Amino acid sequence: MVTSSQSRPGSPSPAGSTPQGQEPDGSRNTTGRSVSPASHLSIKQRAGIWIRKRGVGPYLLLLPATAVIGALILWPAVQVGLFSFQNYGLMQISGVQPAQWIGFSNYSQILHDPEFWQSLKTSVYFALVVVPLTLIVGTLVGLLLVRLGPKMRTFVSVSALLAWATPAVSASVIFVWLVDPDGGVVDWALARLPSWLGGGAHWAGFSWTNATLPAYTVLTVMLVWTGFPFIAVTVLAGLRTLPSELLEAARVDGAGPWRTFWKVTFPILRPVFLVLALLSTIWDFGMFTQAYIVTGDLGNRDEYNLGLYEYSQAFTQPPHYGLASAAAFVLTIILLIVTVGYVRAAIKQGSLA
Amino acid sequence: MGLRKRSAALGAVAGAAAAALAIAGCSSSTSSTPAATGSSTPAGSSSSSAATSPSAAASGPATLTVWRMGGSVPSQVTWMNNVVTQFHTQFPQYANTQVKVVWVPWGDRTTDWNNALSSGKNIPDITELGNTDTPTEAASGILAPLNSQLSSWSGTSGLVKGMLANDTQDGTTYAVPWFGGVRAVWYRTDQFKKAGITSTPTTWAELQADAVKLQNAYPGTTGFDAITNDTNAFASFIWGAGGQIATQDSSGKWTGNLTDPKTEAAIKYYVGLYTTAKVSASKYIGETELGVAGATSGGPNEDFGLGKLDMYIDGSWAKATLPKNSVDTANIASFPIPSENGPNPAPVFAGGSDLAVFKTSPNQQAAWDLISVMDNPANSTSFAALSGFFSPYSAQIAASENTGGAFNAGFAKAALNGQTAPLNAKNWPTADNGKLNIIPTMLKSLMQGAPFDSTVAAANTQLANVLNTGS
Repeated sequence: MVTSSQSRPGSPSPAGSTPQGQEPDGSRNTTGRSVSPASHLSIKQRAGIWIRKRGVGPYLLLLPATAVIGALILWPAVQVGLFSFQNYGLMQISGVQPAQWIGFSNYSQILHDPEFWQSLKTSVYFALVVVPLTLIVGTLVGLLLVRLGPKMRTFVSVSALLAWATPAVSASVIFVWLVDPDGGVVDWALARLPSWLGGGAHWAGFSWTNATLPAYTVLTVMLVWTGFPFIAVTVLAGLRTLPSELLEAARVDGAGPWRTFWKVTFPILRPVFLVLALLSTIWDFGMFTQAYIVTGDLGNRDEYNLGLYEYSQAFTQPPHYGLASAAAFVLTIILLIVTVGYVRAAIKQGSLA
Repeated sequence: MGLRKRSAALGAVAGAAAAALAIAGCSSSTSSTPAATGSSTPAGSSSSSAATSPSAAASGPATLTVWRMGGSVPSQVTWMNNVVTQFHTQFPQYANTQVKVVWVPWGDRTTDWNNALSSGKNIPDITELGNTDTPTEAASGILAPLNSQLSSWSGTSGLVKGMLANDTQDGTTYAVPWFGGVRAVWYRTDQFKKAGITSTPTTWAELQADAVKLQNAYPGTTGFDAITNDTNAFASFIWGAGGQIATQDSSGKWTGNLTDPKTEAAIKYYVGLYTTAKVSASKYIGETELGVAGATSGGPNEDFGLGKLDMYIDGSWAKATLPKNSVDTANIASFPIPSENGPNPAPVFAGGSDLAVFKTSPNQQAAWDLISVMDNPANSTSFAALSGFFSPYSAQIAASENTGGAFNAGFAKAALNGQTAPLNAKNWPTADNGKLNIIPTMLKSLMQGAPFDSTVAAANTQLANVLNTGS
């Protein structure tokens, strides 16, 4: 657009390149900003002037990110939204039959499906357990890191971040091996623990993956393990911005570590914790990969969470892309509500503080 | 139908003109092998209409992709290489065509088919299908009709009629049977001897008692695998009690039979193998014979090979997936799945695989030509023999009935008593795979302590719904 505004001296600019005719083009140069005729300006200069004058700089800078997000997230989301109101299946996706608009029928079918409520319950309980656990463990490790010397701090944070950097599939496969009923080290160790520690021979051959509670126990441990380092490092970054006078003052006033944390550290870092809680909720509520591997492909319907439920709607025979899209939208709406809740809480607390 | 078939055949003859000419041209030089005679006869008879096509040489596709199910097996790879050589000799126009075999785990097959169809990427030209998949996949439009090809193929008339009928919907055939197979109980003769079991069990009570004896003789092992995710095997218990899974009336409406007393007896017995008789392990709940859904090795198959499991149900083909370090393969034998009260064995699910041309393959004719070589009487029979299956040709089954040793005894006996319905119903894969898994989920809940009556009743209602409506 801007490049097309190049015009030969004396010739009128092409219409498309002169929005509102305010371009510093020879005959209409009324701004006085450029002393030389427009024909002597390079394209770069002309573009620069136009951008500054119109105040479009920020928007231009936003353009690449918006384009990427639009192409990769917004457009697919619009498609999913459309599918959720259609009977979109194999025949439609392969173009054999046209898709038909069926109103809210997909949504009502989803909301009347007991499997949906079952998997929603699993997702909610899982997030309720994993999010606080991850935050607590991550914060404790963050508090530990800030007390360590520089070398030890580097060592501990790098070790922890390795867990965070482990790909979800690798982590899941490792955990499935750990809890394998045949050769897994967890059953082996539990069977050898004394009974007052909860061990005993009944753990030998215990299957962790074929019932909801044990399977999600394994997933909880795994997601806390892979999730806490991010929390720890972020909390560490927050802690290092704390003014040391405040902490000293608290110590002088006789506050112990517990009191100092809740009265000084936590209120100051509250925005950080809110963002971390929000991100963790989104990650854990929408968990798919780990659950898919640990619960054994799609072989165990009773162990579905929302992610597996959606996937099974779309990718088992016969595929119901419309139903799955509706389920995906329900999940999105739930997460939006959570997000709005967090943001409101953040604003409220920010104004009170 | 006869008329419709013939006109379709004429169309195919015109379309296949180049291929027909090529075969006609070379049939004399290759007719010494039975494979070549198999396909060249019909082509020769139609070559008069194709004689005007001047050039047929090396116009085939660069690659033909064949999707095989399961995990790669070396002997089957050798067999396939041999087939490809024959294919190149028999059809010189495909001399430069590479044949690529892709192994698809059984648990992923429907997903992969759907993805191939919807994305148009990485599509197979030929796919193997379980015979229970064929009605569903034909209905969902991923398979090309084969009527015209079949009507001019020499193999058609020799195929077992029932197997071909399974692949036909409203007069259109979408796949050809490639092999058949049945399940039986695997055991080891040396273990039976040590446990003091003198004859193989023929009733449920004997099966359970023998499992207990084996567990006592071999402490730390599991007697039997009461897995939940293999309805093809579990069906034999229902049928062996005289029950049914679901039945269809003359109007085509399905009724669930899970709450019938005879079927309930089978469910109770099977669940009780784990809960009360304690001859199965908790890890088998939620598993197939190869471990978790989608796995291609592991589970009871591996445990039996490693000597951790004394008896288990699987097909004769499963010998190929036994682990390499299996303890004692020489003593492996089989007996048919017992019925409730004996002495005749329970009916078994007549399983097997079909070959079909993928609907969106750009190489329809070449794909069929390769199938015609893979599935000719000689090649399908040699494939069946090396993999522990039955040939899809009546004459070949009759000829091989008395070959094979102790290992095949149970399977051969079982094969005489096969049943497919309702496992080949159009909506069966929806009911028994993926998100619904009706019978596996029911068995799992029962084994994990759910109340019997309400669980079975709920599964029964859902089963009838799905079979009737598809969702």
